Amino acid sequence: MGDKQTFLKQFDSIPAVFPVQGTARAHIHNGLDFPTTRDEYWKYTRVNAILDKDYIDNSWMPSSINEYSIPAMDSIDIVFVNGGFNKELSSNASESGLVFGSVLNQDGENKNLILEHLGKYADSEKHAFSAFNTSYFKDGAFIRIKKGCEIKRPLRILNLSGGVNQANNLRNLFLIEENAQVQIIAHNIGAELQGGFVNVVTEVSVGDGSNLEYYLIENDGDESSLINTTHVHQAGTSTAKVVTLTQSGRLVRNNLNFDINGQGCESNMYGIYFTSGKQHLDNHTYADHRSPNCESNELYKGVMTERSTGVFNGKIMVRQEAQKTNAFQSNQNILLSDNASINTKPELEIYADDVKCSHGCTIGQLDDEALFYLRSRGLNKLEASKLLIQAFAGDVLEEISIPALQEYVAEFIHKKFEDLDA
Amino acid sequence: MSDFLKIKNLKASIDGNQILKGIDLEVKPGEVHAIMGPNGSGKSTLASVLAGREEYEVEADEVSYLGDDVLELAPEERSRAGLFLAFQYPVEIPGVSNINFLKAAVNAKRKHRGLDDISAKDFMFMMKEKQALVELKQSLANRSVNEGFSGGEKKRNEIFQMAMLEPRLGILDETDSGLDIDALKIVANGVNKLKNDENAFIVITHYQRLLDYIIPDFVHVLFDGRIVKSGDKTLALELEEKGYDWLTNGVEAI
Repeated sequence: MGDKQTFLKQFDSIPAVFPVQGTARAHIHNGLDFPTTRDEYWKYTRVNAILDKDYIDNSWMPSSINEYSIPAMDSIDIVFVNGGFNKELSSNASESGLVFGSVLNQDGENKNLILEHLGKYADSEKHAFSAFNTSYFKDGAFIRIKKGCEIKRPLRILNLSGGVNQANNLRNLFLIEENAQVQIIAHNIGAELQGGFVNVVTEVSVGDGSNLEYYLIENDGDESSLINTTHVHQAGTSTAKVVTLTQSGRLVRNNLNFDINGQGCESNMYGIYFTSGKQHLDNHTYADHRSPNCESNELYKGVMTERSTGVFNGKIMVRQEAQKTNAFQSNQNILLSDNASINTKPELEIYADDVKCSHGCTIGQLDDEALFYLRSRGLNKLEASKLLIQAFAGDVLEEISIPALQEYVAEFIHKKFEDLDA
Repeated sequence: MSDFLKIKNLKASIDGNQILKGIDLEVKPGEVHAIMGPNGSGKSTLASVLAGREEYEVEADEVSYLGDDVLELAPEERSRAGLFLAFQYPVEIPGVSNINFLKAAVNAKRKHRGLDDISAKDFMFMMKEKQALVELKQSLANRSVNEGFSGGEKKRNEIFQMAMLEPRLGILDETDSGLDIDALKIVANGVNKLKNDENAFIVITHYQRLLDYIIPDFVHVLFDGRIVKSGDKTLALELEEKGYDWLTNGVEAI
């Protein structure tokens, strides 16, 4: 592996705006090392390709964002280009009770909130890529939903990356105050990114009685790497749902962590992926039950084909005080090719004695009997497979409560089949 | 005019066991052929091989259907060419709606004929009409394919699909098994309404009972992978009376 200091040096000219950035730089420059496959947490995912590269800061700029829209979606958009805020491409729309802008551009009360919360949830002491992000992020989205407010239109963070060997460290902070409600879409696109590295850290605080839906769409292109780390901190009686759709990426690593910190919380994690080529996708999730009477649900479903490889590691931690926890987890995979593979590992760690927990994983092929039945009615093998895959993905699709986005995901599956056919 | 269906010396084996040992059969438009025989004689294998199930090793001097070499065609190509198998055990496919599935099947066939996709209106009209034919409840059509259907409902759904796809050659693989007498009449009635001078049916059955309602032009007895006797509809009655023993005794020695 390349030298860590050489890798880091490429980013040292980025100014450290927040105090946490200085602290994180000290960590990453000194004791904290990037993970290797000797770390259990990174056993199947090699990050050498990310660290061995020379990165260039490109001046790439999209002429418009029309081609990156989600059809029929009526969202308020904020746009970042290679990690920097772009005011011109962002929409001006607003709603009452909503603060939606760049982390760097806030002042007064909002700036104080950022100083209070930024770095509070993401761990820059143990996790090198989080520390790297904290050290060198240029900007990110700041979302604040004020107490009791319900935001009607979905908010979309469009994180565009482009150019050759571009690194993009985006740092988002969402503060959902008490009894507030919002739908957020983090849309990562690297349509013109060649051999880049996108490293996103998002910290989310969900207040008492609030309801958050957060959708991650990952489409940084098949030559690039993405590490997408999300920390959700939930207070009592709140509901949070995170749905991750992975569309492309040579290497994608998702770290999704839930801190469940108050009674009566509901935490939902859903994932859907359809990998091909030489893609490598690694989903790590962690549900930390710290309070009694909470429920977490997790369902990740994926289809893997060609030479793609995958990892799923879902951990449920139930601490001693988290009595009456209900926790469910499932990872289901269909391999369409003999050369595709997945390592899936569900984990439970339970210290409370009155809990209901279950986990499971499946790896299989399409049902031959069902395929023959459909073919005997005139559908070709691809059409029959498509119907079966759509059925397989159905229960995750139903969890997407924005119709335009649900349609977008269905269309993605449809398109993937057309590409396989070609 | 090329032959409708012509089978000469059809052999099929699975996992090294030969099930069909040389079948000869010729079917012409407008005909109904019944294939009877004891358990394990190869009736369902014959149906499966004609529909294109891939786990069999098949060889034959000839299996031609409307001039095509059937054995060279994929299951979907056979279907589009007008061949339909009503399954003995229809498969439950959770999450795939009957309607989407049927629309895809109807459009696959239309595409094969160079037609555009069916309009939503025409499709709904066609659904309604064909459902009435087999007295299939509207609510079943809206559900996932065969999921949670009773045995009788599954079989009716097969005939419903057959009605939707309007095949030239329908093969019914023990469609009567597990049906009570009322369901049997409904299924038979459906087939009779679909029957015309242009199409043909091969009805595989264990019992003569179904043949009271679907009158066959020919009855064939399949035993140990061969057709050991053929006759008209009176053969079925004779079998009902005497069983299979009088036909099969001595055949095993061959």
